[in-house]
Amino acid sequence: MRRFITRVIHIFRRDRAEQELDRELTSHLAVLEDEYHRRGLTADEARLAARRAIGSTAHLKDLHRDARGFGWLDDLRQDVRHARRGLRRTPGFTAVAVLTLALGIGATTAIFSVVNALLLRPLPYPHGDRLVRLFATLPPQTPGGAERRVIVRMTAAERQQLRSSARSLSHVGTLNWDLMNLRGRDPRLQGAVVSATLLQLIGVPPLMGRLLTPADEAPGATPVIVISHDAWQRHFGGDPAIVGRTVTFDAVLGPPVSTKYVIVGVMPRTFQFPDGRTHVWRVPPPAWNDAPVAPFVGRLADGVSLSAALSEIAAVVRAMRAGQRDNARARYELVREQDEVVGSVKPALIVLMAAVGFVLLLACVNVANLLLARTASRQRELVIRTALGAGRARLVRHLLTESITLGVAGGLVGTALAFGGVRLLRSLAATISRLDLGNQLSFPRIDEIGIDPRVLAFSIGTSVLAGVMFGLVPALRHARADQATALREGTHATISGFDPMRRVGLRGGLVIAEIALAMMLLAGGGLLIRSFANLSSVETGYDATRVLTFQVAVPVDRYPVARLKAFADDLVTRLSAVPGVERAAYANQLPMVGLINSFPLRSSPFQPTPGRPPEPPPPGTPDIRLVSRDYLDVMGIRVIAGRGFAEADAAGRAGVMLINDALARRDFAGRNPIGETVYIGRYPEPWQIVGIVNNVRQFGLDLEAQPQFFVDLRQWTRDGLVFPAGAYYVAKTSGDALSIVPAVRGLVRQLDEEAVVFYVAPMEQVVSSTISRPRLYAVLLGVFAAIGVGLAVIGIYGVMAYAVAQRTREIGVRMALGAARGQVVGLVVRQSALLTVAGLAIGLAGAAMLSRYLEGLLFGVPPLDPVTFTAAAVIFALVALAAAYGPTRRATRVNPLVALRSE
Amino acid sequence: MADKVELLQGTLDLIVLRALSTMGPQHAYGLAARLEQVAEHPLLLNQGTLYPALVRLEQKGWIKGAWQRTETNREAKYYSITKAGTRALEKQAERWRRLAGLVDKLLLNES
Repeated sequence: MRRFITRVIHIFRRDRAEQELDRELTSHLAVLEDEYHRRGLTADEARLAARRAIGSTAHLKDLHRDARGFGWLDDLRQDVRHARRGLRRTPGFTAVAVLTLALGIGATTAIFSVVNALLLRPLPYPHGDRLVRLFATLPPQTPGGAERRVIVRMTAAERQQLRSSARSLSHVGTLNWDLMNLRGRDPRLQGAVVSATLLQLIGVPPLMGRLLTPADEAPGATPVIVISHDAWQRHFGGDPAIVGRTVTFDAVLGPPVSTKYVIVGVMPRTFQFPDGRTHVWRVPPPAWNDAPVAPFVGRLADGVSLSAALSEIAAVVRAMRAGQRDNARARYELVREQDEVVGSVKPALIVLMAAVGFVLLLACVNVANLLLARTASRQRELVIRTALGAGRARLVRHLLTESITLGVAGGLVGTALAFGGVRLLRSLAATISRLDLGNQLSFPRIDEIGIDPRVLAFSIGTSVLAGVMFGLVPALRHARADQATALREGTHATISGFDPMRRVGLRGGLVIAEIALAMMLLAGGGLLIRSFANLSSVETGYDATRVLTFQVAVPVDRYPVARLKAFADDLVTRLSAVPGVERAAYANQLPMVGLINSFPLRSSPFQPTPGRPPEPPPPGTPDIRLVSRDYLDVMGIRVIAGRGFAEADAAGRAGVMLINDALARRDFAGRNPIGETVYIGRYPEPWQIVGIVNNVRQFGLDLEAQPQFFVDLRQWTRDGLVFPAGAYYVAKTSGDALSIVPAVRGLVRQLDEEAVVFYVAPMEQVVSSTISRPRLYAVLLGVFAAIGVGLAVIGIYGVMAYAVAQRTREIGVRMALGAARGQVVGLVVRQSALLTVAGLAIGLAGAAMLSRYLEGLLFGVPPLDPVTFTAAAVIFALVALAAAYGPTRRATRVNPLVALRSE
Repeated sequence: MADKVELLQGTLDLIVLRALSTMGPQHAYGLAARLEQVAEHPLLLNQGTLYPALVRLEQKGWIKGAWQRTETNREAKYYSITKAGTRALEKQAERWRRLAGLVDKLLLNES
């Protein structure tokens, strides 16, 4: 053991040991000389005798070195030095190889950092991996309709029942997103409604004050909140006396009430739950206790599996909801919160990881080809090494050291590239993050994406592995013990024979692999690009150009609904007068905003059935849109039959309504809806349909238009749900939408000093945000495909150039024997054409097999889209042709006399 | 030329330790010379063969080297046995004696 340690230490004190040995040998020699001299030899004879007595110093030093260190380590050091020198001597080769590898390893590292942050790292709070959600898949409401997958919500009573009967859960609670308006600047705060026990379970102690407790959930308790460190600094100026202070928050979702909350705690700066954008935590208000609106979240008890918990929980829930419709046919699913959060991007991530793996493989194949040529030219050196006693293993080790050095160099550059790449990725994936536009919009856990130690380790591992992969092939090929024949052969170019395929061999095989991989990348990229193009050209139903959207927050307690409407009218009128604004309007909701307000339309007034509890409206119930008179004009929504809203449709007049095309076709098929009278929900007032408007894609470009109807806000007398998330203002501008923002702010301030403008965004930006993910995937895969094609082209060019160089002599011979120039060149071209065709065929077949995994990411494009595949093949063929052009031309220029004389 | 006795690596170590133990600190040449003298037999292929053995013993901590001056005022590295070396010597010697005795007995029985 002590010897092992000493040997390890020796690694660092090599030079000293060498010097010491030299010193000792010199002294030994001197002593020997003296001895021989004493015995009577002359000085010269003594010296010779002394030398002879000691023996070969070189051999001695070798033995000594082997005894005192680890032999292979010294070999390694030697090999690395040799590799570095060799690579420096051929800067062209080294640059190309390192750059190729850097692209491959850099891209792979960048994508892996995303995979790492989303799939490998646990959620950024304790117990994150054991929180679960319950989902129910409900059967379709209408025959032929789709099933719906919804998160299961529970009442407080139901939660209590679950708590007592389910043993597979150690905690039962609720967790939901929340929006609140804090009076003042930057008003809208994202928060979470969470049961106190859950917050306590997370277990992070607050920076100041206390956490929420179950006592806060009791009816009649003072409303309390806990705020984040960030909120404390930004909104309350870091006030040290913040705990106990009362603030007024206006609720955004649900009835517009303003509530005074007492701040009871401030969380530490690093605390995140459930993500970094949540700044306020409060318990479910008592008013929610009767309605099943709180999404269930539970913590799996230790040692309980997901499936076991599911069977127990599903049974309990079914029993609790025995009387309800759909209960028997609902299918339940228990999903981990961390899987749910990233679930929407997981399939895409896997595709991206596979694609970037292809790119890396391509890079390795390219470098392998380069190395093959380079190692072939080192035959003589390798033979000498063998003669000096190197075994095959030693030779392979030597060659592999060079390739691993190359790999590590490429990895270093690639990791540096990856830093920039990750930043680029994050900016591509970032979207305007607004809760009203739905959670699906923002890329999950995007803030956590970065290069951490695990990613670095992955990068190093990949570099070494890549080095072994592309180095093994040339190493095994050329590290043959019997090199004599190879040496002799090297002086003459070998004649290939008449069959061009016979010379395909290893390099040709590698090129076919390259082409196949590049084809698959090109096909995949093409599919995604086409899909994105389809998405972005979807008919939205409205004109988003030069439309500015924004919201205004006003103190809720001073603004009952009537005053809100008056404020909105006032603002819109003034806004229309601003230069640069063509027209302005407002509505309770915009396209892409994820609010659902459904009311069934009845042909006769609603009669309540006594004893039946109210049920949520089934899907397919039309959505109501409360809009101002000019809204349709501002948004460019076409009226396709009848008329739009007029000045005459004012308060107190007969109620008029517009329905959209989808609603007309579905519920009024075969008859003209215009002129018909309907009743909305349970309200007794009649409404007359006066027009049909174009469909508007409300919830996403890839979703079919839903049935909707429009009512002018002046005629809507109910207070409820007028502005469930605040009024959305829209203004059509003559120039750039954002240019009127200062005017808007000024106007709002004039109307009320305490009003604040927020969520300012051009409508185009809102729309493009909803397709940011397909855009991201298309861009990434497109970049990978471009890199792949580029690498394959380099590979084709390299192989062809090499073939032409090798066969220059042959071409010369053939021409000297009478072959026409064209015939000979045709030989060369035919070989490369065969390679390309083979590669294309394999690539297309591979793409056809793998494209089904892209299915979930495609819109309007089938996985086996013939257009994309054909285009990819044609593009690649053209590109390959261009790559072959240079070497082919050189082949045509071969002068037979020169060729015959050359080596 | 008298046939050289082939020495196993371990036995050379043992011999060096024993030599240092009885003769006191020696430098490499001195060791080689004394060894040949005592054995009356050319033990070593050449004097350099000692060095790997010396470095092994030094790494194991059984001998220690120090630079000193010889009688002829040359500098030389003198090796001396350490306490751990003495202990190891006893153990190894015991093993060797046992092995030798065993081989002897076996050979005796055969003849």
